[in-house]
Amino acid sequence: MHADAILELRNLKAGYATNAGFVRAVDDVSLTLHRGEFLGIAGESGCGKSTLAYSIMRLLRDNARIESGSIIFDGTDITSLDEKAMNEYRWTRMAMVFQSAMNALNPVLSVEEQLVDAVLAHKQVTRADAKKTAMEMLELVDINPERIASYPHQLSGGMRQRVMIAMALLLKPDLLIMDEPTTALDVVVQRSILQKIEELRRIFGFSVIFITHDLSLLVEISDSLAIMYAGKICEYGPSREVYASPDHPYTKGLMNAFPTLTGPISRMGGIEGQAPSLLSPPPGCRFAPRCSVAIDACTKEVPLLQVTSPGRLCACRLCGGNHE
Amino acid sequence: MNNVILELKHVSKHFALSGLRNIGKVVHAMDDVSFFLNKGESLALVGESGSGKTTTASVIAGMYEKTSGEIYLDGQPVLPFKTREASLRYKKKVQMIFQDPFASLNPTHTIRSILERPFLIHKLAGSTRELEAMLCDSLEMVGLSPAKEYLHRFPHELSGGQRQRVNIARTFAVSPEIILADEPTSMLDVSIRIGIMNMMLDLKEKKHVSFLYITHDLAGARYMSTRIAVMYAGMIMEIGPTEEVIANAVHPYVQLLKASAPAPQEGVRKAAIPAKGEIPSLVHPPSGCRFHTRCPYAKKICSEEVPAMRDIGNGHLVRCVLV
Repeated sequence: MHADAILELRNLKAGYATNAGFVRAVDDVSLTLHRGEFLGIAGESGCGKSTLAYSIMRLLRDNARIESGSIIFDGTDITSLDEKAMNEYRWTRMAMVFQSAMNALNPVLSVEEQLVDAVLAHKQVTRADAKKTAMEMLELVDINPERIASYPHQLSGGMRQRVMIAMALLLKPDLLIMDEPTTALDVVVQRSILQKIEELRRIFGFSVIFITHDLSLLVEISDSLAIMYAGKICEYGPSREVYASPDHPYTKGLMNAFPTLTGPISRMGGIEGQAPSLLSPPPGCRFAPRCSVAIDACTKEVPLLQVTSPGRLCACRLCGGNHE
Repeated sequence: MNNVILELKHVSKHFALSGLRNIGKVVHAMDDVSFFLNKGESLALVGESGSGKTTTASVIAGMYEKTSGEIYLDGQPVLPFKTREASLRYKKKVQMIFQDPFASLNPTHTIRSILERPFLIHKLAGSTRELEAMLCDSLEMVGLSPAKEYLHRFPHELSGGQRQRVNIARTFAVSPEIILADEPTSMLDVSIRIGIMNMMLDLKEKKHVSFLYITHDLAGARYMSTRIAVMYAGMIMEIGPTEEVIANAVHPYVQLLKASAPAPQEGVRKAAIPAKGEIPSLVHPPSGCRFHTRCPYAKKICSEEVPAMRDIGNGHLVRCVLV
């Protein structure tokens, strides 16, 4: 384990038991997250990015399980900790902002009750102290602390998402996982929330895993970027480098799928076809059926994530070694 | 030369709130909306959720009755329809693509029965054989081939992108002149969005239709349109040629929208205009300019009178007293 790593995933496999069979949504994922790092995980719906997040938090649904591999958080393998031991980590050391803030807050409890409960569940403090902590945190996310008495329906979507962020940061965790935190929000609100997260990260120094399908957003805000496709990481590296010169054909396709606000307007390509079913993923490279440069060998052997240049990884037999 | 196919003049749509406590209260979903659409043109209607863009499309489609104002098709005032024939005639010319490909196809119907309805309703096929050929043609046109493979399937057997293609095929079935596309790609995966957008651009050229392309994504609007209209809280704030509006946004709201859009090349930017607040309640919209509560340049006059649309040249109109 790297000295300054806060989280390390080693060959993690996780999935769901369904009526149609086992769906391995996370397939052999290895990643390292350093302290203070902002890691973006990009992928389309069904690529396993949310399952990855829920695996790290050990919050998978009843029909889901971690098959093998390890999740090492600050030196400890938390993969097989029991619930009681896990609660030492959850929310205290690692916290999560869920995708839909609209539904993640309890509609019949006030913001105060929900925030104070979160503090009291993990810390031996008085209710008054817990409320003080909660109000300070609301202020940090630009919500008037007086609004602590509000119920979720009295807040706008953006404010609810800020409350969720405040709740996640209440106990000053080392790691903040955000699962599409801004997808349901308008661009202006999204922008203000991103700026807020950056600001708070500078204050508290926590690490972030930010999960989204919006690659253009991630390139802008993250230090490093992992691209997921059909349960596997296909490319990893510093965000700017991945953006400027993507290696994997899937990443290249994604980069050519976003219209831009500046520069000449040219016809963009996108990617033909659709992502495979994880019930029966294609043999070999999972992207091969949609890949425009695939050769015969691509459909036979699963490509491994390999170093293409310092700090950069790519799982494609056609890009290894040609990236000096 | 009159090239205008559709024109809205000061159209408003207010929805009455339900419930005893809300008697007399209305939602000002769309207020004083005026614009025109040229033949074969693609106009993008951009706005955040709650800005009234979908209401605008629904009113044009005849799904909601307008509260006031006038809508002209080929120079003739339309709506409300006096007869079923008038309604059918209009709807054959004006068709809508809906946002949600999962909700807009009846899950208990096969693709065949979904797709043959417009042909039957508008009596476009002379015989069963002709209908069959038309169904196949329209599926092939949207890239679902071989068409016979798809006709007997149910919507749940198709992916989101394929479903949206069926929606587009259904829209084009009646050879419409105007397509109202309501965020047709926002619920699709990013890698297939551009494919659907390209297909719509191709169909626009091939079928000589006019597009009203509704989106919240300024960059997508730029890709799809030659003119752009930006809505905020039920009103159009700025309208003009796409490149001009995006490169030289005049209205403070449009500047804010532009500054908020992701720009991967730049790193976390402090937006030129601080992003504060959210879209106001449309039950009690702000007095005067609806953006004044969030506008960094707002003056006293902004809260007192509703600014009119002003022409600043080259077909570029702005609703701001400070310009």
